[in-house]
Amino acid sequence: MPREIITLQVGQCGNQIGMEFWKQLCLEHGISKDGILEDFATQGGDRKDVFFYQADDQHYIPRALLMDLEPRVINGIQNSEYRNLYNHENIFVSDHGGGAGNNWASGYHQGEQVQEEIMDMVDREADGSDSLEGFVLCHSIAGGTGSGMGSYLLETLNDRYSKKLIQTYSVFPNQMETSDVVVQPYNSLLTLKRLTLNADCVVVLDNTALNRIAVERLHLSNPTFAQTNSLVSTVMSASTTTLRYPGYMNNDLVGLLASLIPTPRCHFLMTGYTPLTVERQANVIRKTTVLDVMRRLLQSKNIMVSSYARTKEASQAKYISILNIIQGEVDPTQVHESLQRIRERKLVNFIEWGPASIQVALSRKSPYVQTSHRVSGLMLASHTSIRHLFSKCLNQYEKFRKKQAFLDNYRKFPMFADNDLSEFDESQEVIESLVDEYKACESPDYIKWGMEDRDRALTGEGNVSGTGIPN
Amino acid sequence: MEDQRVLDLVKQLVLRLLSPNRNDLDIDKALKYAIRILGSRMTPSISIDEAAMAESIKRHLVNQGKSSDALTFADLYTKFSSKSGPGSIHNKWAVLYLLKVISEDRRKEKRSDSRVPSAFLSSTISGGLPVLFEDDRSTRNQKPPDKGWSGGVLLVSKDPDNLRDIAFREFADLLKEESDVSESALVRDVLYACQGINGKYVKLDKSIDAYVLPDSIKVPRATRIMVRKLCELGWLFRKVKGYISESMDRFPSEDVGTVGQAFCAALQDELAEYYKLLAVLEAQSMNPIPMVSETASTGNYLSLRRLSVWFAEPMVKMRLMAVLVDSCRVLRGGAMAGAIHMHAQHGDPLVQDFMRRLLRRVCSPLFEMVRSWVLEGELDDIFAEFFVLGQTVKAESLWQEGYRLHAGMLPSFISQSLAQRILRTGKSINFLRVCCEDQGWADAATEAAAVVGTTTRRGGLGYGETDALESLVVEAAKRIDKHLMEVMFKRYKFKEHCLAIKRYLLLGQGDFVQYLMDIVGPELSEPANTISSFKLAGLLESAIRASNAQYDHDKLDRLRVKMMPHGTGDRGWDVFSLEYDARVPLNTVFTESVMARYLRIFNFLWKFRRVEHALIGAWKTMKPNCISSHFFLKQEGSVKLQFTSALRRCQALWDEMNHFVTNLQYYIMFEVLEVSWSNFSNEMEAAKDLDDLLAAHEKYLRSIVEKSLLGECSQTLSKTLFVLFDLILRFRCHADRLYEGIHELQARTMDSSLSSRTRSKSKPKSINESSGYGTWVGGGRKALTQRAEEFLRNMREDLETIAKEYSSLLEGFIAQLPVQQHVDLKFLLFRLDFTEFYSRQCLST
Repeated sequence: MPREIITLQVGQCGNQIGMEFWKQLCLEHGISKDGILEDFATQGGDRKDVFFYQADDQHYIPRALLMDLEPRVINGIQNSEYRNLYNHENIFVSDHGGGAGNNWASGYHQGEQVQEEIMDMVDREADGSDSLEGFVLCHSIAGGTGSGMGSYLLETLNDRYSKKLIQTYSVFPNQMETSDVVVQPYNSLLTLKRLTLNADCVVVLDNTALNRIAVERLHLSNPTFAQTNSLVSTVMSASTTTLRYPGYMNNDLVGLLASLIPTPRCHFLMTGYTPLTVERQANVIRKTTVLDVMRRLLQSKNIMVSSYARTKEASQAKYISILNIIQGEVDPTQVHESLQRIRERKLVNFIEWGPASIQVALSRKSPYVQTSHRVSGLMLASHTSIRHLFSKCLNQYEKFRKKQAFLDNYRKFPMFADNDLSEFDESQEVIESLVDEYKACESPDYIKWGMEDRDRALTGEGNVSGTGIPN
Repeated sequence: MEDQRVLDLVKQLVLRLLSPNRNDLDIDKALKYAIRILGSRMTPSISIDEAAMAESIKRHLVNQGKSSDALTFADLYTKFSSKSGPGSIHNKWAVLYLLKVISEDRRKEKRSDSRVPSAFLSSTISGGLPVLFEDDRSTRNQKPPDKGWSGGVLLVSKDPDNLRDIAFREFADLLKEESDVSESALVRDVLYACQGINGKYVKLDKSIDAYVLPDSIKVPRATRIMVRKLCELGWLFRKVKGYISESMDRFPSEDVGTVGQAFCAALQDELAEYYKLLAVLEAQSMNPIPMVSETASTGNYLSLRRLSVWFAEPMVKMRLMAVLVDSCRVLRGGAMAGAIHMHAQHGDPLVQDFMRRLLRRVCSPLFEMVRSWVLEGELDDIFAEFFVLGQTVKAESLWQEGYRLHAGMLPSFISQSLAQRILRTGKSINFLRVCCEDQGWADAATEAAAVVGTTTRRGGLGYGETDALESLVVEAAKRIDKHLMEVMFKRYKFKEHCLAIKRYLLLGQGDFVQYLMDIVGPELSEPANTISSFKLAGLLESAIRASNAQYDHDKLDRLRVKMMPHGTGDRGWDVFSLEYDARVPLNTVFTESVMARYLRIFNFLWKFRRVEHALIGAWKTMKPNCISSHFFLKQEGSVKLQFTSALRRCQALWDEMNHFVTNLQYYIMFEVLEVSWSNFSNEMEAAKDLDDLLAAHEKYLRSIVEKSLLGECSQTLSKTLFVLFDLILRFRCHADRLYEGIHELQARTMDSSLSSRTRSKSKPKSINESSGYGTWVGGGRKALTQRAEEFLRNMREDLETIAKEYSSLLEGFIAQLPVQQHVDLKFLLFRLDFTEFYSRQCLST
């Protein structure tokens, strides 16, 4: 029972990062572009069946569903050298091919309309696995398809597969440059609501930070999507290594995520990766020890979420949990020393309302991918500063909403018909409470948070007992 | 007439041989000498062996530095001996002997101008040829004709007028009067006694255990004492002889042993020397003791005093032998060799030499045993004399119990470490042969022997060559151990099996363990005695097939389900374990007791995994998208509060428990398993022999047991740990109930709100009563809310109780950690309290 994970790639961005992810996985498992296992990769030891299954002719097929409302990216994949890798039955392109026009409502609506077809695909994949562990959704939250159709998928999956995990890799829009998607704040807000309510874990990939890393760390003056996407695929593949190379711990997604997400609402994770390289780029080879790796992972410049916090707020920000996945040849004794050093130097600020610590998972490295560095590390962390990202979204939304800008585009669709904008309000409410919850996590009294008025309410209840339910 | 003809012939021969310019006197002298030789009767005491005689002449020549002469002789001898047929000489040996004696005679004459006793004696001993005397006053005519003795006795002066002579004679007469027995009779008796036979007068007195002259016989006191002293030799001889014959009689039936035999043989040889001496002395004792007046002559007679001189050296040897016999009487084998060795530590070169000769003989069987043990692994020791003891055991315990050192049989000249090495080398060979079914060791042994230069044939080593022995052992050990290690690692894949054990018994293979947990878990909640291990075996099989373990073909058929012995009330969890069938020869390392320890570790890790599994399961029910808490936020204030506080309580407690379990897990993985493993694999690389390997493995296992708190010293800790585990499992039930209740509630509320929204009069559908929590049926919204509140409050209180219990237990556990002296638990403490959450909590309370 391999605890299969089905990947759903939705929209332009989702399919692009998805494709990079599969490329990377194929490389690491020694699977050729056609899905055939390379001769040098036959000795096993890795677990391919989490993400792949074997066709009758033994070639490996990704457990992936490719969906888009416009054919451009998927056609690109189908014309690429990886065209034979995917199961063609798993590719969905909308008939009219017009896309969602960067409109969340359009994407959501179209998703609703083709739901039977899509859910057929999902069910078929799910039936094809012995013990489905969950779904991974790759999308962006700013556009139309990834956000709108993705949101619809999240709701449906949550409803239909409530016992399964739903993890998303969500690309947040670049805030530094003016986007071609003007309605991005609306789309983001509406998607964020689904991510908050219907996903179990959201790995936040902030395009702003990715660009910054590309420019500052990798010295690329004008990073292309392909280059930032390769960063994303690195993170995605690294975060799944413990699933693919079984070891003592963290062998399934639920085990990996459970300790990362002690407070169910706060399930947005940031990532950091070191040493960062981009394909075909000769990087300076540095000495990589466990301590180096762990220390670098804690530096904000390596973190793939930009922090909009002001300094005072930043100092208040705390880690709820950290998991470092260290790959490569590591002497286990080094882990202890590194942790000690990190604690001595007070490099991490943890929540005060409960015990916490840096968790470390050691994982094997693929023997088929040559890297110039001995050790590499991925950090998955739940950090309260992420709330500023949501605050920013809220702010932008509020600005737009005040001006009633671009709302007509949404009113065209059933959800917002008859000028029913309650969905926006509800979303705003959800995000605001999310931000509050993160903020509360920074205080030592989180356990009692939200209960300040409890005493009052309880005494009040005492007073009004028998008079009915206070409303 | 015949005589005259012989004489003429001799004369012609002499004239011929001597150069013509010799004067008549020389010729006359030579002639006389020749005649005397012919007239003498030689009675050689040595055996008739022509080749030996030739050899001895040759050696003699070589010794004198005349190697060319020796070669010439050898050549001539070959010609001489090859002559056969008519006309050739029959008595070739006699001719050679004659020539040899003559040449020796001539040499003595040259060396000594006076007839010193040494020359005289040696001629006596060598069988007697008269000396070519210078003067003619030889008094051969005085020799008793009945004695076939040609050694002349010299009488110097026979002047009857010599007054001194007369006085001496009178003294002699006086002496004769004083004693009943003549000295020569006493000498004979003493010689008898020295062969362990009662003489005419000298007899063994049992009461004082010595040979004495009975008091009834009147002899001078001095003589009596001297006889007694001389007879000590006889007593000693009896003892030694007695020991030898006793041992020999016992030999085949009783265990005298090869070393004992060798010892007897060596003693026998020494006695043979002694017999030789006695024979000579006996012959001499036939010569009458000259009168005191005749003391000037150095006659070939024996007196008691002379005897005491003769006996000086044999006495020392005999005493040594007697001492050895005494000390070795009860000893055998190596112990005997060791005892003799102790006596060899002596400053006297004579003693040293003697002992060395003896030891060489005695040790040779012992060394032979060492050799065949070290090079062939043969324990050729039917009399249990060797210091290595073997016993028949099962193959798996061959290494541990099959052979051991017998300290009593270890001679002191072999050091303890060398002995250990010897033991191990032979053991390795046997191990290879029996357990590994390997033949390659023979090459290794041959190679070792070749390097040392000792051939693999018998008798290559002897006493005193301890260095050679050591280097043989060292070389053999080095090669054989290396070979053994190679066989263990390459052919039997020791490391791979250790890894497999780590993977499956120590739960390193995560996917396999996970799957096993999934399918075996439900079974194990049953009472232990109702669980069928066949079923479990089937489940194990499918776990293997489903996980990556399936690629590990040769390891998997060794994996078995094993139920540990169980008592009443035990659940499957308490007894379930996996077993790894190591098989010969690996079961030498993974013995039953080792496996039992692995089983304990497995059981602990397994229980631990169960707890982790339970916690993860709890997380799954409360995972982020499970409850649309959003929905509840819309509820009325008090319900909302109850709801939030119950959930928060549950989550915080879960977080704390999960933190504990995860960090303990990390501790066990990094600090215990991985660190121990990396130490173990380093030591494994460095291991030179199987003992090193065993020690390394033992260390590995012990470190795991100790550090996993399974050791003797951490019983209280592990007890607390198990209570904590139980509590966590209890928590899981409560959490499940809470969430089940909330779901129910959610469904109800949704239902009722739905019905209220649609204004439908239809009664709520009957709910699933069996769930037990669905008690808030009907009664409308108000009742529903009340029930919800009540339920949530109860749950919250239950959780509070668990939380309190948990905190106090955990506090106890953490408080105990720093006091554990025996094992380094700093890491665990450091981990658990990484953010100093607990120490702060401790301070604030």
